[in-house]
Amino acid sequence: MAQYGGLGLFLILVQSAPSFSDTWALFFATHAATLGSWFLLLALALSVYCFAAGWLGLLGRDAASERIGETARRAGIAVFYIVLLAGITLVAAAFQDNFSLTYILHHSNRELPIAYKFAVLWSGQEGSLLFWALLLSAYGFVLRLRHKTDPRLFAHASVIIAAVQVFFLLLVNFAAHPFGITQGALPADGNGLNPLLQYPEMVIHPPMLYLGYVGFTVPFAFGLGALIMRYPGEKWIHITRRWTMVTWAFLTIGIFLGSHWAYNVLGWGGYWSWDPVENASFMPWLTGNAFLHSVMMQEKRGMLKVWNIWLVFSTFLLSILGTFLTRSGIVSSVHAFAQSSIGTWFLAFIVLTLAVCVFAFVKNRDHLKTEHRLESLVSRESSFLFNNLLLLVACFVVLWGTFFPVLSEWIQGNKVTVGGPFFNKVNIPIALLLLLLTAVGPLLSWRKTSTDSIRRNFQWPAIGALVVAILLLIFGVRPWVDSSYFYSLMTISLSALVLFTIASEFIRGGRVISKHTGQNLLVSITQLGRRNTRRYGGYIVHIGVVIVFVGIAGSAFNVDKEMEMSYGDKMQIGSYELICRSYTQEDKPNYGSEWAIMDVFKGGKQIDTLYPERRFYKASQQTATMVANHSTLKEDLYVVYEGLNQDTGRPILKVHVNPLVNWIWIGVIIMILGTIMAMLPNTMPAPARVFARVPAPVTGD
Amino acid sequence: MTTYFLLGIVTVAALFYIFNVPLGVAAGPEKTRLNYLQERKEVIYENMRDLNFEYRAGKLSDEDYNSLKASMEEEAAAVLAEAARLQGASTPSISETKGVRA
Repeated sequence: MAQYGGLGLFLILVQSAPSFSDTWALFFATHAATLGSWFLLLALALSVYCFAAGWLGLLGRDAASERIGETARRAGIAVFYIVLLAGITLVAAAFQDNFSLTYILHHSNRELPIAYKFAVLWSGQEGSLLFWALLLSAYGFVLRLRHKTDPRLFAHASVIIAAVQVFFLLLVNFAAHPFGITQGALPADGNGLNPLLQYPEMVIHPPMLYLGYVGFTVPFAFGLGALIMRYPGEKWIHITRRWTMVTWAFLTIGIFLGSHWAYNVLGWGGYWSWDPVENASFMPWLTGNAFLHSVMMQEKRGMLKVWNIWLVFSTFLLSILGTFLTRSGIVSSVHAFAQSSIGTWFLAFIVLTLAVCVFAFVKNRDHLKTEHRLESLVSRESSFLFNNLLLLVACFVVLWGTFFPVLSEWIQGNKVTVGGPFFNKVNIPIALLLLLLTAVGPLLSWRKTSTDSIRRNFQWPAIGALVVAILLLIFGVRPWVDSSYFYSLMTISLSALVLFTIASEFIRGGRVISKHTGQNLLVSITQLGRRNTRRYGGYIVHIGVVIVFVGIAGSAFNVDKEMEMSYGDKMQIGSYELICRSYTQEDKPNYGSEWAIMDVFKGGKQIDTLYPERRFYKASQQTATMVANHSTLKEDLYVVYEGLNQDTGRPILKVHVNPLVNWIWIGVIIMILGTIMAMLPNTMPAPARVFARVPAPVTGD
Repeated sequence: MTTYFLLGIVTVAALFYIFNVPLGVAAGPEKTRLNYLQERKEVIYENMRDLNFEYRAGKLSDEDYNSLKASMEEEAAAVLAEAARLQGASTPSISETKGVRA
């Protein structure tokens, strides 16, 4: 080999690579269950050590305690690698069609496209719990690497994360084992992935949602840790702010990807149905949102400490409750996993966590004394307080409506389901009030605001919003005809108010910079954002929220029509004319499908051809809808292939015209961009100078 | 056999990483009241900068601005005084409190 030098060695390695990889592939296929099971057991043992040694390390202050604490931190880091190995083992088994693992047999099949083989990891109960554990270990990994920011606070947070990690690793080791072995003769093929999950967004929707759910463990760990150690000051809030924002952003993306998926796959023409599992993700989003606003009061004024700590606790508990809802089978949902005993584990964990929170709070409540009182009802503080109250009322309404069927069954013996009208009736007025506060809040000053300041700040935005309302009335929105029109009018007018107030904030701030630097207003406004990323990033998020609201307001003007169509049949809906050019069937390895070809005309001119489809997945023996959508900024023409009429053999098509839907997705993108901006550090100094008078030092008591 | 060998290597590597802690690992100093006051001072100064900025942007009346500025200055002064007392200094230097720029 020496005569060939480095090149020879390389060639030999390349030639031997296929046989080497084949050997390893065979090795993994044969031993996946042993490897995966061992990784999970090892991760559990290390997590228990991380928790116990971490706690022990925090009890002492000597060098030995610090060394024990360091071993705990390292154990937490090692857990990430070990759980990652377990995750890789399961995904590799899916790629190898290793049906000797029960989980792979139930959630994959040979013809499943490659991208969905990754999705196998979170498509079933056991795998998704492993994914939960993996994400939690990843968050813990990052946290433990950044421990030098505040070693003792991070050590407390690390111990709490380890405790949560122990719970999830107990689940995957003893209650929902993803590496269980198939008994008896191996079937030739697996049952396949749920067809509803075979959609591109499903490869990223669950991970985003889980990153959100799991991520709330981090602020919870910091909050509980800060309370237990009686952390002096509010720096812990400053440290956790970015963690919370990242988590909240992931949950936002997850929720809206879910909505987008529901809109495009479930084929009922809507994007939100107040399904229990949708509600489960919405509740921690609401409390997390409340927390992101109310922390500013604690950071700036040392107020609402008790409120904030309970918001952190509630958000985490609601995340766990959401996972419990999905897995226990106590509620019916398109998203829910099969009924299992795992709900008892979650219930026990929720009760135990709540008990720990209550104990820590009672023991240390004197540490949470507020430093200032609310000075005026017309102040930034009170706007945050009302914002928080409204978000929590909305959360309670969603919680009540979600659990009402369960409660009614316990009390009356029969299940009474609460539908969309209940949630809409209560939550739409709350949402409108929140929009009003979004407009009002930024224009109020901290502590108190005089009528003179209110007048000078609100005059122009209010006139602008009034003009928008009048224009809507002129263009035919009649609020007295239907309550949905009234809500639409209010939503769009209040959205305009928010946009005008935000615009005035940017223009006023830009003028100050412009005066200070001599630059033009546009450049100054750009600089403004870089000088205070948090505030102006927050405003961008608000712009996104407003755009989402405008998109939702469009639903008041939805129309739909259902028709059985044959070759050449026409359907008129809104300004569109649809002609059925053809309908046919097709057979593919993974599924068979029926679909129609629809030519779309507008104003006598063909603008598109749509292919609404219905698939039948062979492995799982289930059907799925593939909606055809002609989407514009003004409206969506949404066509659903409902199936063949068995008597006539002709397809039944349902067509919806849904105005403004695209603005919802655009608004979400803006919300995320704003969140990213708010997380960035300020890159330019603020221009204003600060002067403080200093009295003589206080002496004695 | 290969499986157990591989698992053994992973386990030993993890344990080696966990327990091979270098000497002189320190968790860092405990946070003191003085650290807290320093953080508080920074927050109050930031609040004052925001206040000045909003005033210059025309969002606040003179009456609101003067009253808010006075109460923030009092708050800052109390924090600085306590910090000075803890540090054992007689009086905080005026240069410490004037003309702070972010």
